[in-house]
Amino acid sequence: MRLSGLQKEVLALYRRCLREAAKKPIESRDNFKAFARSEFRRNTAMDKRDFGAIEYLLRKGERQLEMYASPGITNISR
Amino acid sequence: MAALRSSTRLLASRSLFRTTVPVRSFASVNPIESVKEATSASRPPVNESKTSTVQEPSASPDARIKTFHVYRWNPDEPTSKPRMESYTLDLNKTGPMMLDALIRIKNEVDPTLTFRRSCREGICGSCAMNIDGVNTLACLCRIPTDTKQESRIYPLPHTYVVKDLVPDLTLFYKQYKSIKPYLQRSTPAPDGREYRMSREDRKKLDGLYECILCACCSTSCPSYWWNSEEYLGPAILLQSYRWIADARDEQTEQRKDALNNSMSLYRCHTILNCTRTCPKGLNPGLAIAEIKKSLSFS
Amino acid sequence: MASIVRPSLLRQACSAAPTARMLSTRASINASQRIAQPSFVRSAVPTPMKAAAFHASAKRAILPPGPQHVEGTANDPVPVPPAEPTHGSYHWTFERILAAGLIPLTVAPFAAGTQHPVLDATLCASLLIHSHIGFDSMVIDYIPKKRFPKSRALFTWGLRAGTVVVAIGLYEFETNDVGLTEAIKRVWTA
Repeated sequence: MRLSGLQKEVLALYRRCLREAAKKPIESRDNFKAFARSEFRRNTAMDKRDFGAIEYLLRKGERQLEMYASPGITNISR
Repeated sequence: MAALRSSTRLLASRSLFRTTVPVRSFASVNPIESVKEATSASRPPVNESKTSTVQEPSASPDARIKTFHVYRWNPDEPTSKPRMESYTLDLNKTGPMMLDALIRIKNEVDPTLTFRRSCREGICGSCAMNIDGVNTLACLCRIPTDTKQESRIYPLPHTYVVKDLVPDLTLFYKQYKSIKPYLQRSTPAPDGREYRMSREDRKKLDGLYECILCACCSTSCPSYWWNSEEYLGPAILLQSYRWIADARDEQTEQRKDALNNSMSLYRCHTILNCTRTCPKGLNPGLAIAEIKKSLSFS
Repeated sequence: MASIVRPSLLRQACSAAPTARMLSTRASINASQRIAQPSFVRSAVPTPMKAAAFHASAKRAILPPGPQHVEGTANDPVPVPPAEPTHGSYHWTFERILAAGLIPLTVAPFAAGTQHPVLDATLCASLLIHSHIGFDSMVIDYIPKKRFPKSRALFTWGLRAGTVVVAIGLYEFETNDVGLTEAIKRVWTA
């Protein structure tokens, strides 16, 4: 299946989330991973042609990733 | 506080009827007890013919009703489209500025309306928005008294909207950071105390240091709309010139070199929307021209 | 047609019905009811909201903005490009000198009454370069390299090819025909 540019970006964001989760302390890694998964799961029903909404969610996701990726955050409640 | 008020009212009504009950001292009144007393069967309520009636406020005949259309978008429902919502206010009861109207809408009509505001006097640059087609600060923009004309309020154009009238200025601030907006010096001050400058040198900074970075000019620039990722925009270039023109700064050449490429500075085509729109009355267009001149003759 | 009518209709519909939530003191039937409750308490019955469609004009998506790309974190400065005076200050100075030089070049043949071929050739060449720079700047403005690298290359090379073709044409016109100034003169008096 050929993916559109936007779909690729969503996947890239997800991959980066998992990468950043892998940098966290080992005992909290699963929590971060689960959090990222749940955040993406929440919007799976999104219409794939609703570009504005997807772009907004991408922006929001990048923000969240940037925040949670900071080394000061060591755990997250799931 | 409310309890105190009710108890004083009770005291007043008592004295009105000249009751024989000794008036208790103010501090010892137990509010709950006194309420019980007032509503108990032994003390019937005061007849309405002996009390004053609070009239409902009637519409004044000379009310100046004005309609405001405000851009609304809620990030919690990302699939919903942005929409224009209308509010009507009586201008006689509203302050003279657009920000007063917005604050009144938020306080009295719709608390979900979101906008940035802080100083309400044009010093913080928070309330920059597009009012009736012009980028300006809501706190410096008078409400047009013509009530037939409806006002339209949008967020700053060509910005990513965070919510309602709140734009995302991340890129703007990142660009501001890239011009190093601080004094760069390696040599100590001659008198070892502070960096002094002559009156003439200080005069060069007039019209530059007043910029409050409200982003009105940058978001009104078509060049910045098309190339905001690479072109710095009028506000940042004005700030850059503020440091290039500063006589105390020693990194002038480096500052100029940072702008000396095809995108950062030279996407300015002297459209001069920046100068037209600046709510502080500054001239970013002139500052950009000065940078171009200094780059050309150096 | 429908698309032209729609926004105006919507706007009329908007101005007709006042919002039930507004608290301005306009005489209305249930004003007392409304004043009795605090303004931030919403009635359970959804009030008709005056919300118009946002796009009042026809949608023109020529270059829709893409998703926002923030390089680095929000606290990092934007990367500063390396200094390239050839594309920066030298380019600008050359462009301005050329533009200013065009004025005397345009006036000279008519003021002096001469149609010297060298003067004519200089005018042609500077006009060509001037318009090339102008079109190039349009391409740079409207086709950002980051978002459309292929179209950018296509348009840049297309413009260069066009300029070369025009240059050849002008050369032919100058050498084998009457020349630019004479041509304008003839068209003017024709």
